[in-house]
Amino acid sequence: MSAELLTKLPSSDRWARIESRAGRVVLLLVAVVGYVVAAAYHAVVFLNSLPPALGLEIGYNVVVLASFAALWLLLSHVFRRRQPSPARTFWTTLLLGVLFVGVGWGLAFIGRPADLTVASAGFDYETGVPLTLATVVKMNLLGPLEVAFAFIILLRFRDLVLFKRTRTSERNWHLMLVLMSLAALFMFMKAPQAEWHWFDGLVMVPAVVFMVINSFRLSWIVYLSFREKMITIGLTLLLLAMLVVGMSVGGDSLLPGASTYLSYYSQPLNLFKTLALVFGILYCTTAFLSLLFHLPTTGDFQRKADEMAAMHSLTHLVSQVFDSERLLTTIAASPVDAGTANATWLAVPDVQSGSLRPRIVATHNIDPAQVQELVDTTAIYQELVSNGEPILLEQASADHRVTARPGEGLGSLLVLPLIARDEMLGALFAAREVAYGFEKDDVEAMTVFAAQAALALDNARLFEERVEKERLARELSIAREVQRKLLPQHLPALDGLSIAASSVAAQEVGGDYYDLYRLDDRRLSFIVADVSGKGTSAAFYMAEMQGIYKAVTPIAPSPCDFLIHANRALTGSLEKNVFISVLYGILDLEDESLTLARAGHCPAATINLNGEARFMRTKGLGLGLDTGEIFDRTLVAEKVRLEPGDVFVLYTDGVVESRSPDGEEYGYDRLLDTLREHRHEDADELHASLLEDLNRFIGRPQYSDDMTLLVLKWHGIDLAVASEQPETATEGHAPSPAVVDESPETSVP
Amino acid sequence: MSNFSVGFRSSGGVQVLDLQGELDAHTASELEAAIQKCQAEQRYRILINGENLQYISSAGLGVFMAYIEEVREEGGDIKIAALQPKVYNVFDLLGFPMLFDITESEEAALDKFEDGTE
Repeated sequence: MSAELLTKLPSSDRWARIESRAGRVVLLLVAVVGYVVAAAYHAVVFLNSLPPALGLEIGYNVVVLASFAALWLLLSHVFRRRQPSPARTFWTTLLLGVLFVGVGWGLAFIGRPADLTVASAGFDYETGVPLTLATVVKMNLLGPLEVAFAFIILLRFRDLVLFKRTRTSERNWHLMLVLMSLAALFMFMKAPQAEWHWFDGLVMVPAVVFMVINSFRLSWIVYLSFREKMITIGLTLLLLAMLVVGMSVGGDSLLPGASTYLSYYSQPLNLFKTLALVFGILYCTTAFLSLLFHLPTTGDFQRKADEMAAMHSLTHLVSQVFDSERLLTTIAASPVDAGTANATWLAVPDVQSGSLRPRIVATHNIDPAQVQELVDTTAIYQELVSNGEPILLEQASADHRVTARPGEGLGSLLVLPLIARDEMLGALFAAREVAYGFEKDDVEAMTVFAAQAALALDNARLFEERVEKERLARELSIAREVQRKLLPQHLPALDGLSIAASSVAAQEVGGDYYDLYRLDDRRLSFIVADVSGKGTSAAFYMAEMQGIYKAVTPIAPSPCDFLIHANRALTGSLEKNVFISVLYGILDLEDESLTLARAGHCPAATINLNGEARFMRTKGLGLGLDTGEIFDRTLVAEKVRLEPGDVFVLYTDGVVESRSPDGEEYGYDRLLDTLREHRHEDADELHASLLEDLNRFIGRPQYSDDMTLLVLKWHGIDLAVASEQPETATEGHAPSPAVVDESPETSVP
Repeated sequence: MSNFSVGFRSSGGVQVLDLQGELDAHTASELEAAIQKCQAEQRYRILINGENLQYISSAGLGVFMAYIEEVREEGGDIKIAALQPKVYNVFDLLGFPMLFDITESEEAALDKFEDGTE
């Protein structure tokens, strides 16, 4: 039952540990008072020379046991668990033992009876009453001293027995103490001179069983170095000798009569002391023998422990390195540094030649050229890729993929896949000079290391990707800034004309371009262009188009001239699959006309005051589709007379091809409808209305293509100015097409 | 994710590519791969059937431009047939009909290939 009770306690040490200062003072008081009372009792018995009354004797025994129980609790606080150091434990116990023997030996000679054998150490044989004052003094000094030492032995060995404790080992230890106490209590009130009964021996059996069990708790031995083991062997031997010779059962040679005094002092304490000493002897014996047997394997164990420690520290290091190059070198070096391998190299998939042909990126203790010469890394790597399991070649030279002959430093080869997130990032090759060089535990340790290394590689890769991504994002935001500056920062002003324009790119940068340029007092050129494709490549060509516009429009302003020049300028610099569609026009105040040419671009939409709308769909190839002859031949410009209220809308295909959430395209018709609805607004308002309608149609803020919108509205020239202007047609027609056949051959300067 | 596919078919010595879905910057590479495959197999008479082509972007048009020169140098051609009106409009806006044979039906395109060989 007590065992059950004990195992229920989470840390059953707690009951024995007195934490509060007040508690300890009380315990000290109990112990001291008990001791004084016991001494007084013996003095009284001696002075009366008569055995005490039964009641008094019972009281005495209870007081003594309580007093020593308090002493046990006090001592267990003094010797509470510290970092267990076996050598120190044995050393201090031995020192205390020597001290105890010294003191006890001195005490034994106080008033030594002339003849010990006659009076049985100074007690009346019949009554057990002390015969001399010296006897009283000695029993009160030697007895408690002996018990205290027994307690100390138990408490000191507790640290060793409970090293790397488990619930079971804790339970066994406390069961042993409880059973020892029970056996001791069985001796309660038993006269020291009484005959021993076989039953007395029987009650000790359970305690002894647990003493033996606890004697085999010796796991601390494994962790000692050779030197520590040697020291500890010496110490256990000395302690053993002292215990056996000095204080074993009835061994009174060093402390004459000590056991006898204690047995007259208190029988239960005597038995408990005896059991404790027997346990001490048992434990010292098993420890001594075990230490002796462990001596030869210390080196191996130490080597393994060192390897593990090295691997562990390297694993830690590896996980902190974010520099790929350094990481690869560290991974390759680790198994050699840890002593597991003689040479290592690391192969990773070569991105250029596909994942099956690895590249050796780091070697340690071996030359890359030598690796190439000795091992078919590719073949082994391929096997690794196909089954993902470590490959161990016990006799490397016997394998067909290894060309090294015996003695060339390649006895056995261990190849480990570096796998992270189900992807093979590389392979770690570890070689030993001798065949059968890798033991099972080596393979296990290396496998663990490989897993860690793969994780570190993966981390480094993710880290690099992130850095790269951030760098690209930064570059792109710079590109966006640059591209924004390629678009007009201010729109030019021209009498009678209102202009509004905008351009948004689907990605950071785009291929749309628009610009306006005031050629002189009366002429304005304008352009809307769209490079095929999206993103960065389109942005470069957009920049090129901008350069061409800025350079060509002042010298060849007429639409066909401009486009033909632009097409020639672009020849050779555009990729085959890239072309640029362009709308280019000239607005001339002199004859109040607008001339427009279309190079493959979406046709401009136009509407007059009456709401008559149409697309200006002239013929013309996109720039870059043809190098010259067909382009020049097919290009046609359209010239319209301007009427006040005429609106021209130039846009890129992103506008008409924008889709609603249902997948419907915005389309040409809707554009005209919206235009018709808002035709009375000036360019700014009309531009805003068109975008608003478009955004409402798309229904989400994300554009899938670049979108550019340029709105020109002709309001007519002020009367004052108009009077100076030549007569113009006043019919309220839609700007009617007045195709001007600009023959390219003649118009090109 | 890709809603574009290319079907391979042979019709009297002409390699017919049936396009389906939307040909844009993301799917253009599939058509490129298809034409490269034709080139690798020395089939330079290529007919693009656009009956089921729903949409084409400028990047999609770029594919034709990228290969037409090489194919014509080998004595072949890329002809385009049976485009839907909306898709044809995109070809037309850029002036492709001036550079490519674009016919209303596959048969008409095949006939043109026949005429070309004679």
